[in-house]
Amino acid sequence: MIPKLTFAAFVAFWASVVTVLTLSALAPDSIAEETGDALPEIDAATLAEHGSLDNCWMAIEGKVYDFTNYVPQHPTPPFVLEPWCGKEATEGMRTKGYGRDHSPAAWAMMEPYLVGIYVD
Amino acid sequence: MSVKLARTLIWVLALLPALVVLITAGERDLADPSAFLNFLGRLTGIAGLALMLAAAILSCRVPGFDRPFGGLTKLWRTHHQIATVAFLLLLAHPLLLMFAAAGFSLDVAVATLLPRGADIALWTGWLALLLMMVFLGPGYRFFGDPDYQRWKHLHRLAAPAVVLALVHTFYLARTLPWIWEWVLWIGLAALAVASIGYRFLWSRRFGRRRYRVTRVDRPANNVVELNLTTEGPALAYEAGQFVYLTPQDPNLEAGYGEEHPYTLSSAPGEPGLRIAIKALGDASRAIGDIAEGSEVRVEGPYGGFFPKISTPKAPELWIGGGIGITPFLARARHLAGVGEAVDVVLIFCVQDEARAIWLDEFEALAASLPGFQVQMHYFYKEGPLNRTFVTERCPSARDRTVYICGPGPLLKLAQQVAQSAGVPGSRIVTEEFDLL
Repeated sequence: MIPKLTFAAFVAFWASVVTVLTLSALAPDSIAEETGDALPEIDAATLAEHGSLDNCWMAIEGKVYDFTNYVPQHPTPPFVLEPWCGKEATEGMRTKGYGRDHSPAAWAMMEPYLVGIYVD
Repeated sequence: MSVKLARTLIWVLALLPALVVLITAGERDLADPSAFLNFLGRLTGIAGLALMLAAAILSCRVPGFDRPFGGLTKLWRTHHQIATVAFLLLLAHPLLLMFAAAGFSLDVAVATLLPRGADIALWTGWLALLLMMVFLGPGYRFFGDPDYQRWKHLHRLAAPAVVLALVHTFYLARTLPWIWEWVLWIGLAALAVASIGYRFLWSRRFGRRRYRVTRVDRPANNVVELNLTTEGPALAYEAGQFVYLTPQDPNLEAGYGEEHPYTLSSAPGEPGLRIAIKALGDASRAIGDIAEGSEVRVEGPYGGFFPKISTPKAPELWIGGGIGITPFLARARHLAGVGEAVDVVLIFCVQDEARAIWLDEFEALAASLPGFQVQMHYFYKEGPLNRTFVTERCPSARDRTVYICGPGPLLKLAQQVAQSAGVPGSRIVTEEFDLL
């Protein structure tokens, strides 16, 4: 009973992995996002005006995000995010402070918060 | 401590991190299907690692530690159950996280599943899971019955798998409140490391006693009884317990330097040890030719088949068959040595007269020990053991504590027969020889 159940789970695991990889290899690439052109340019001084937890913008890899509404949902306590508000925060996003990048899902989650293009 | 309590405690310890996750879960974790799947993905990872560490803790094999669990074979069963749940949860863990990420796009889902570049966190997680498949697969007979020694060697991959899983968790941990994160993982990991350290370092150096083979008796053509003696401190044990024996005779055809579990057939208090071995595999067949005077290492004792008293207070019914008769032989020798009257009936189940090993000795013991009876059950004459046979030969069966030891089919049958004769499950004790 137990050996059969684990064997079934083992096969199901690899079947799921292979299915997803096959789908991802065969599905057409997603259309490039048309963001950027219509967004306002934001400089460091403007960014710095949004430097608190209740008004928190961050510049990450050339784009500016307004994370004010996201701060309460972030897994770590707000004080971890606070120093990055109003600043260029790519390092924080890429390292979490201990060398570990945020997950692909975390990167994907940022899109709805995009407010502008960062210019130095 | 009762067996139930010991088992409950280890399960509680193993499930504690998952419990803390459930208690501290917030609204954010239930916000939408993606968030919920992500929460389940993290929960299965945390529960899986904690269970893996608990299984490692149980594998320590400290003599006596197995006693509250009802002996080492039953302790291993708990170890298997915990490891199985861990394996199933850890198989679900990456898939759930991938499905959660599919809420963004298929590309994000694949990127969540597969490591890229120098992503230590994901590589270590994958490697731990692949190792788990390799060292657990044979135990579930994924690819047929495993060879005992090869399986044992393969199972050592559990140690690097646990280390890799801990590294993986260190990089990704963000679910538990940080104080819990440190206390739980460091606590569980320290216990697991101590346990593995005991097993592979301490016990090898200090836990194995040196004995010398003084004589090899042959009670049947496929059974030997080794007589051992030591110059060092003697092993303290109880009747019916077993040891891991490592022969040091380099001329053995198989099993040189390998440890195998065998039951002690001697009575506590005898000057040396006696170990009964039936030829069931390469090593147990070869040991019949072990040189007298050669050295063996003995580690133990393990098992807790009989209660910890030297003479039975309550009446007992013993049902033994095949090499499973050995613990009863040890107990009968022990009771005879103590010399007080007992109330014990032994039903000795064998195919035919030729396989009734030690019958002469059992009959001699029955003649000298007041209250000890031996009833023979020959399969070729009586067919499978049944209630009528048991109640005829032992009319007071239902009032006795029943001890059963033998090959799997007999064990199962004798248990059913005892129950049908009116013995409550709480008074039926079994001992099986399985993969140890």
